[in-house]
Amino acid sequence: MLQAHSLLWDYLWVGPNALLLVLAWLLWQRRIWRQNSAFLAFAIVSAVGDIAVFLADISPSVSAVNFWRVDWAYLFAESILKFIVIGEVFSQLNRPYPSVSKLGRVVVSGVGAFLVLLATLVAAFSRGDSSVRLISGAHLLEQIVFTVELGLILVIFLFGAYFNLSWDRRSFGLLLGFGISSCGHLAGWAISANAAPSPHGRVLLDFLDMATHHVCVLIWFYYLLIPKSGGATRPPKPPSAGAGSDESHKEHLEVWNRELERLIHQ
Amino acid sequence: MTLAIILVIAAAFGLIFILGVTVSRGLQVSGENRRRIQPIDVEAFRNLVDPAEDEYLRRRLTSVDFRRVQRERLRATATYIEIAGRNAAVLALIGQAALSAGDATTVEAARQLVDNALLLRRNAAFALLKIYVALAWPNSGQTASSVLQGYERLSGCAMLLGRLQNPAVPVRIAATM
Repeated sequence: MLQAHSLLWDYLWVGPNALLLVLAWLLWQRRIWRQNSAFLAFAIVSAVGDIAVFLADISPSVSAVNFWRVDWAYLFAESILKFIVIGEVFSQLNRPYPSVSKLGRVVVSGVGAFLVLLATLVAAFSRGDSSVRLISGAHLLEQIVFTVELGLILVIFLFGAYFNLSWDRRSFGLLLGFGISSCGHLAGWAISANAAPSPHGRVLLDFLDMATHHVCVLIWFYYLLIPKSGGATRPPKPPSAGAGSDESHKEHLEVWNRELERLIHQ
Repeated sequence: MTLAIILVIAAAFGLIFILGVTVSRGLQVSGENRRRIQPIDVEAFRNLVDPAEDEYLRRRLTSVDFRRVQRERLRATATYIEIAGRNAAVLALIGQAALSAGDATTVEAARQLVDNALLLRRNAAFALLKIYVALAWPNSGQTASSVLQGYERLSGCAMLLGRLQNPAVPVRIAATM
C-alpha cells in the first residue's frame, strides 16, 4: 500500500490536483474568484503543473533530467504564485485598518526579507541529498520556499491576532491551508534534504507531503465554497458575547462608561 | 541531521500555533471568548507618566534612590500600558462588530473607535518596548504619554459609540458633569 506508484500513491498525487481544478472551476462559475484572483491562478497553475510532473514521472519517454527540469519549472511557477496569494490575503486583512496598515506592510516586508536571508543561509549549510545538483537543488529550493512561506504566514497570523483584526472567512481559509501545507512540507523536505532518509523513508515522506496537500485542498473547499452559518463574511462577535451580541456591546460600553464616570468624579 | 531536527521542530510549533489561532477564532466567532475590559485608574496612570513628577523625584532623591523608585514606577507604568492595550483590543472587536450597524453615524463612530483602538494597541506595544529598555537605564525620560493620550481619545470614541448604541448611560454621565 505505502509503495511508490501504488494506487494510493497515484490517487494522492493526482486526486488533490483534480480537486483543485474542480475548485478553480467552481470559483469561476460562482463568480467568487474576483476577491481571490491570485488563488484562482495558483489553483490552475499548481494543479496543471503537478499533473505534468506526474505524467513526466510515469512516462517512459521522459528522461530523468527532463523530469527534474519539469519539476523545477513547476516549483518555480507555484512558489511565485503562492507568495502572490499570501500577499493578496495579507492586503485584504490589512486594508480596512489604515491605522495599522503601514506598520503591517513594514513588518511583513521586513520579516520576509529576513526570512529569505535566513532560509538561504540554512540552505547553504544543508548537506543536500544527492550528488546531482538538479535534484538536491530542487529539494533545497523547496526547503527555502517553505521556510519563508511558513514564517510569513505565522507573522500574518500573529499580526492579526495581536490587533484582533477580523478575518474574512475565505482569506482565513486560504492562509490556514497554506500554513498547514508549509508546516507539513517543510518538515518533509527538511528531513529529505538533510537527514539522508532510506529509499522507503523517502517514499513515506512523499506520502506525508501528498496527504498534507490533499488535506489543504479540502480545507480550501470548505472555506471558499461553504458559507459561514448565519450569514456571509461578518466581523466576529466581540468577546463575552453571551445571549446576544447587542447586549454584550452594551455591557462592555457600560463598563467603559462607568470608568469614565469615575474619572469625571475624581 | 541537526538542521533537519530544528526545522521539523519549527514546523511542529508553527502547526500548533496555526491550529491554536484557528480554534481561538472559532471560539471568538461562536462568542465563547470571555475577555473583558479591565478598569484603569487614569489619574494614577497620568501621575506615573507626568514628566514633572519625574523631575520632582530626581531633585528630591539621591541618584541611587531615584533609579530604584523610577524602576518601580516604570514597572507600574508597564502594567497600566498592558491593561490599556488589552482594553484597546477588546474595544477594537466591539467596534468591528458595530461596523455592520445600519445607521451611518454609528458606523462612523465604530470606525473611529476601531482606528483609535488599533492605534493605541500599536503605541502600547512600542511604549512597552521602550519601558523595558528604560528599566536598564531609568534616568532616561518617560515614554508612555502617547499611550495615555490615546487611551483618553479612545475613551471619547467608546463613549460616543455607547451613546449611539445605548443612549441611557451617557445621559447619566452628562448629568454628573
